[in-house]
Amino acid sequence: MLAFVIRRLVHLLPVLAAVSLLTFLIASLLPGDLAYVILGDQATPEKVAALRHDMGLDQPLWWRYLSWLGHVLQGDLGRSFRTGQTVLQAVAERVPVSIELMLLAEFLGLLIGVPLAIACAARAGGPFDRFMTGGAFAMLSVPSFLSAILLIYLFAVELHWLPATGYVPFTEDPVANLRFFVLPALTLALAEWPGIMRVLRSDMIATLQEDYIALAKAKGLKPSRILFVHALKPSSLTLVTVTGINIGRLIGGTLIVESIFALPGLGRLLVGAIYTRDLIILQGVVLLVASGFVIVNFIVDMLYAVLDPRIRHGHA
Amino acid sequence: MTHAVAAARRLAPIFLVTAFAIVPLVQPAQAQKSGGSITVGQELDIPGFDPLKVGVYDTSAETAAAAIFDTLITLDDKGQAAPKLALSWTHSDDYKTWTFKLREGVKFQDGTPFNAEAVKANFDRQKDPANKCRCAFYIAYVHDVQAVDEYTVVYHLNDPQVNQPALMAVQSSNNVVHSPTAWKTKGDDYSRNPVGTGPYILKSWTAGDRMVLEKNPDYWNKGHPYLDRITLKPLPDAQSRFASLQSGEADIIWDDEYDPDNIQKAQKDPKLAVHAYTGSGAQVYAFNTKTPPFDDVRVRQALVMAIDRKKMSQAITNGLAKPASNPYGEGSWVKCKDDGALPLDPAKAKALLQDYGKPVEFKTIVTATPRGRTIGQVLQQFWKNVGANMELEQVDQATIAPRGFQRQFQLTPWRIIDLADPDPQMFANFHTGSPVALANYSNPELDKLLEHARVTADVAERTEDYCAITRLINKEAIWFWTFQNTYYAVSTAKLKGLPKIYHGVIDVSDTWLD
Repeated sequence: MLAFVIRRLVHLLPVLAAVSLLTFLIASLLPGDLAYVILGDQATPEKVAALRHDMGLDQPLWWRYLSWLGHVLQGDLGRSFRTGQTVLQAVAERVPVSIELMLLAEFLGLLIGVPLAIACAARAGGPFDRFMTGGAFAMLSVPSFLSAILLIYLFAVELHWLPATGYVPFTEDPVANLRFFVLPALTLALAEWPGIMRVLRSDMIATLQEDYIALAKAKGLKPSRILFVHALKPSSLTLVTVTGINIGRLIGGTLIVESIFALPGLGRLLVGAIYTRDLIILQGVVLLVASGFVIVNFIVDMLYAVLDPRIRHGHA
Repeated sequence: MTHAVAAARRLAPIFLVTAFAIVPLVQPAQAQKSGGSITVGQELDIPGFDPLKVGVYDTSAETAAAAIFDTLITLDDKGQAAPKLALSWTHSDDYKTWTFKLREGVKFQDGTPFNAEAVKANFDRQKDPANKCRCAFYIAYVHDVQAVDEYTVVYHLNDPQVNQPALMAVQSSNNVVHSPTAWKTKGDDYSRNPVGTGPYILKSWTAGDRMVLEKNPDYWNKGHPYLDRITLKPLPDAQSRFASLQSGEADIIWDDEYDPDNIQKAQKDPKLAVHAYTGSGAQVYAFNTKTPPFDDVRVRQALVMAIDRKKMSQAITNGLAKPASNPYGEGSWVKCKDDGALPLDPAKAKALLQDYGKPVEFKTIVTATPRGRTIGQVLQQFWKNVGANMELEQVDQATIAPRGFQRQFQLTPWRIIDLADPDPQMFANFHTGSPVALANYSNPELDKLLEHARVTADVAERTEDYCAITRLINKEAIWFWTFQNTYYAVSTAKLKGLPKIYHGVIDVSDTWLD
């Protein structure tokens, strides 16, 4: 098992190196010179030249990449030219919000998706199954900015059950915190559950055809016990993959959802950095988020090994 | 009991009638109430308040600055300079020396006394070349500030400025007065822990979420402010910002004419109030007259004559945007009987382009946003109708200024913001040799008019100068104006006392809840 973990960790290094290079290139190759952006409406040629020199923008690209990477490896991701905050400070302030949002969204997605999948698989091909499969398709095609606004109008403006926008830290007031998170998490979950349901449903239908299930039925076990105990775990391998990949999609989703619901998370930080051309925040946050994504998927790989012993022994 | 109620019901109309009859006699009708708190939904995140760190404030930061800080001058309801931290002022004959008498006994929120030295220290810190403050650009015309005695400061200007006091009323990074002790002791942390003399004290601030301001109990203006607490929240999405107002999470929100559906919905809603202010300035475009086809005045005139501003306003803002025929606007004191605006005349435009002879093809810079694209496409259509081919070049907002500076454009959007005096922007935009004289156009007559207008005090004479200036610009069609600057805020109907939205700043610092 340890050898397996180490092998996978070594594979991570080139991926992380590629992530850092891509991040840097994207930020550097964006049109518009950072010096002009900072100087704004007073960008005289002399001032621009001086600032470019101060910021090292007159150095060749490869040199800038290496020196940036050197700083990153020492834990220095730079400082926003707008607020003077370091990237790490900015991220540390906002990462709890995004993680809570993603966890709640994933949780709600699973909460809706898993029972529906089991219900569908139990009577595969039945009217409920066919209705839900169609319904999942319909939900999958509703963009989150639309469902967000619809949810706000229904639950905040019309019914006054939940707040439209805002945030309170969990430590300050847990109940209020959760109230603020219901609508954004639900918005994301509405796009998550169809995938979860469809993947788990088809895997379960396959599992339910296995001989050992037939044996369990023959032994007279209760159908619910067969479904939840014997069929669910072997069927959830693809689900774990999907959940891992979903984290990437959720990070993308937070960009829109955090802006609409005014949650002070990473997505908002990133959108703000893009609008204000705060490239240092931009490349720092993208690097951290991409690395986080790579690491989550590494953990997913590890979970496979837990779920399916054949993988950790290199047989599958 | 029931008799009493019934009696009250019967008598109520009488009381009401009497009340209405009395109200006009006892002014003011509105009684300010103390207490309560409001939440303001803003468009943008505020990066900080230290001018050395953030350079210039955007309108969201200025809303906060209006509560935390004071300026020396404020604008009254007519847009005239009125006393705030300065009580009175005088000027030299050439308008290059301005002397301000300051209010005595005012203290910053950290106890530091407010005096002439503090004003001078604020100015010197921004002006010092070693500090490399982006804010220094806007006080380049001020040579120095001297503290003559404890409560007298003198501004020495490089260029004359007849409306200097009014220009100092905007709650910008240049004009609000910071506590010198605070920035010295807090250092890097000062930007997010600002200290002023204003009616509200910053209590807490969570990045990207909320800023809580609490009533300053020692505020120099006794009886003010009225509200106990103001919470400022960035709500970047226009739809959910409006929904937050409807659902009660916000009491007043920033809005703009590109959100016409919500503004028009709010105008019909008795629970909401729409605050609109059309200031001076306009949304404008500059031709680069050094590049063909815009080196020919016929092409420029033709394109301007082809623009139907009313239709354009209908298309992009549902008719809210007010057409502009000069750069001054309703809020400006410059009122022109004749501003020389070219008429809407597509036939004449077509003829001018035919007269030009060559095919007219060019690129226009637009912002790479849905709004920018829509505006671009509307213009494209107008110009196509008269035989000119325009291509949209989408760039992000931040690159427009540098492109303008380097004159790397054929036609670019620009903005003349709402200021109390036209001189700073008109001189910069049109005087020969200025870095933002985008049109690359030089005309001695225009230069002479601009120079004369800035040293003339007589309002009628200055007005005539500025009207002659816009007649000349309109005739030469080096720039054109599309819409006036109108600023919007939408609030609950209970919020009272909001002043005009000068400069786009929603100043809630002296409002109250009814």
